[in-house]
Amino acid sequence: MSLYLFQILNGVGLGMIYFLISVGLTIIFGLLNFVNFAHGAFYLIGSYLCFTIVSLTGNFWLALAIAPLIVAALAFLTERTLIKRAYHLPHTYHILITLGIALIIQELTISIWGPIGKSVSVPDALQGVFQMGHFYYPKYRLFVIIFAAVIAFALWLLLERTRFGALVRAGSEDTETVSLLGTHIHKLFSITFALGVGLAGLAGVLAAPIRGVHPFVGVEVLGIAFVVVVIGGMGSFTGALVGGLIVGLVQSLMTTIWPQGSSLMIYGAMAFVILLRPYGLFGRG
Amino acid sequence: MKKMILRNVLLSAVLTATTTLTFAAEGVTIYGVKSVSGAFASYGKYADMGSKLAVEDYGTLLGQPVSYKTLDTEGNAGKAVRKVQEAVSQDNARFFDGATLSSTALAIGKEVNKVNGVFMTPAGADELTGVDCNMSTFRWSVPTYGAIRQTVKPLIDQFPEKKRWYTITPQYVFGEALLENAKQVFEAEGVEHVGNSYHSLKEQEFSGYLTNAMAAQPDVLLLLNFGSQSSNALRQAINFGLKNQMTILMAWSSGLDQLQELGPDIADGVYFGAQYWHTVDTPMNNALVKRVNEAYGMNPNYPLAADYIGTTAILNAIAKAGTTDSAVVAKALEGVTYDGPTGSEFVRAADHQVLKDYYLLKGKPASEMADADDYVDIISSGKSFPDEATLACKRS
Repeated sequence: MSLYLFQILNGVGLGMIYFLISVGLTIIFGLLNFVNFAHGAFYLIGSYLCFTIVSLTGNFWLALAIAPLIVAALAFLTERTLIKRAYHLPHTYHILITLGIALIIQELTISIWGPIGKSVSVPDALQGVFQMGHFYYPKYRLFVIIFAAVIAFALWLLLERTRFGALVRAGSEDTETVSLLGTHIHKLFSITFALGVGLAGLAGVLAAPIRGVHPFVGVEVLGIAFVVVVIGGMGSFTGALVGGLIVGLVQSLMTTIWPQGSSLMIYGAMAFVILLRPYGLFGRG
Repeated sequence: MKKMILRNVLLSAVLTATTTLTFAAEGVTIYGVKSVSGAFASYGKYADMGSKLAVEDYGTLLGQPVSYKTLDTEGNAGKAVRKVQEAVSQDNARFFDGATLSSTALAIGKEVNKVNGVFMTPAGADELTGVDCNMSTFRWSVPTYGAIRQTVKPLIDQFPEKKRWYTITPQYVFGEALLENAKQVFEAEGVEHVGNSYHSLKEQEFSGYLTNAMAAQPDVLLLLNFGSQSSNALRQAINFGLKNQMTILMAWSSGLDQLQELGPDIADGVYFGAQYWHTVDTPMNNALVKRVNEAYGMNPNYPLAADYIGTTAILNAIAKAGTTDSAVVAKALEGVTYDGPTGSEFVRAADHQVLKDYYLLKGKPASEMADADDYVDIISSGKSFPDEATLACKRS
């Protein structure tokens, strides 16, 4: 297998991780028109919960099942007590409020788990690698690609093929009318916010064995998530998937073509897309 | 005329004595420049604990109690400089210890030198005792020259059959310095450098660089990055199964705190370079380990040990000088040999570099760990420093 072919495979893997990181952000923005700068912080909680559950039980699968639900529950509470009061305010207020939440979460994380990072082992069933010529690809990363694809399909079904999805989409277009038709719109928004943030928690759990767990990982994750969302188009589910894959492929291929510029080229790709399509590949003007 | 000269000399002597007494009467304050908040808090917290403990252990100096103040650099060179300037102008601060980041240490060193103060740092940049050296700045950590020679060379000696080495390097001054030294050793030892991948200072995803390394089919993978980047590079290399395909060496680890983060599953079989390890059997280190366990209930890690000894070295120099005149204290610190945590340590006058041991460690499996911090075996240690004749430090 050639180096470039392998980098493409690796880029797809990276892209699916980036999709998982960013899809919650884009759902919340697209459906609630809310800018969530605490998205990375909720990813952080997911990864630390994963570390704690694995440390206590030795069971990664339990962490994968429970941690995103706990993160979603926390998000639900946050939305009901604080976020819902800010929906009608301009985006600058959203940023201020969620940045504050992110800082509180970060400092609480340091207080609870300490400033030193942690590692989470790959589950036993997914230890090892697949060999392809001179190259090796971790079984765990392959699992993440497949798992993310399943999540993507399930999300698409939920948002496009269910009554819940239809209500959420309608609510984002005309809150008042949907409310008058008998739907508890605020509850719907709370559930949507919890879903989006729960996906960040899920990404935190899945990425923990690859990236480790660190109190400041939220900031770096938020940066990647915004690049993906801007490339794909704010609020577009398909955009998050395509944007994630573009970022993953660009980053992976550039590590061979121009290694020192691979991070830079992610932003280069973003600038290129903005020049061609200011609202992103699948964004609405 | 003679009377006039005599009178002036006496007047100067009285003034000097008065100034000294005034300084002494005010006591000595050590200012710890530590990143206790921000992205490098994991380092600064322990560094701060080290300096505090050193001051507490010292008791009195020149008949006065020693005090300690923390200046939180927040991992930001600009903020660090501003806080140092304030301490200098408002509190007459002259004695500083710490600074995690090279950029912060370089900036603080220049500020402290403006007032002829004393600044001891464990930061990594070779410029501190190289082209940007000055009368005030002293460095405890071994430079890149020694870090590479005490890790790469022993590994080549141990595995002469492993002739193909691949490097992953952060593209900034520190990474370039490590790479340049590694290339010198490769050339001298007849080792083939089969490739290098540069990465940016913000990079945390290393799968692409590891793929480049796999394509080159090396015998040894040499990681030349530091901190969270080296942790992630190693973690992902283990994910990709590279530990079974090649030997992995992380030339500049931060020691115990990094191994606590990585855990034995990742560290097992990997080689690490380190400035300090808590099981080193020296009188001062044994005492330090006992004291830190009493005070904090933990083994000392590198930031704690480095800033403990850095602070102690400044206090010892003040005691030796018999004055708090910082310019005199800086001179007193030059050429001193003392018992440090790594054994006998010597402050070279030519560049203010502390000459001390650097360690090559090897991770051991969890089943062989005698206690919770017994992550590694010490494979070798020693001192490697550039000759005085070749130093880039040209202090006037």
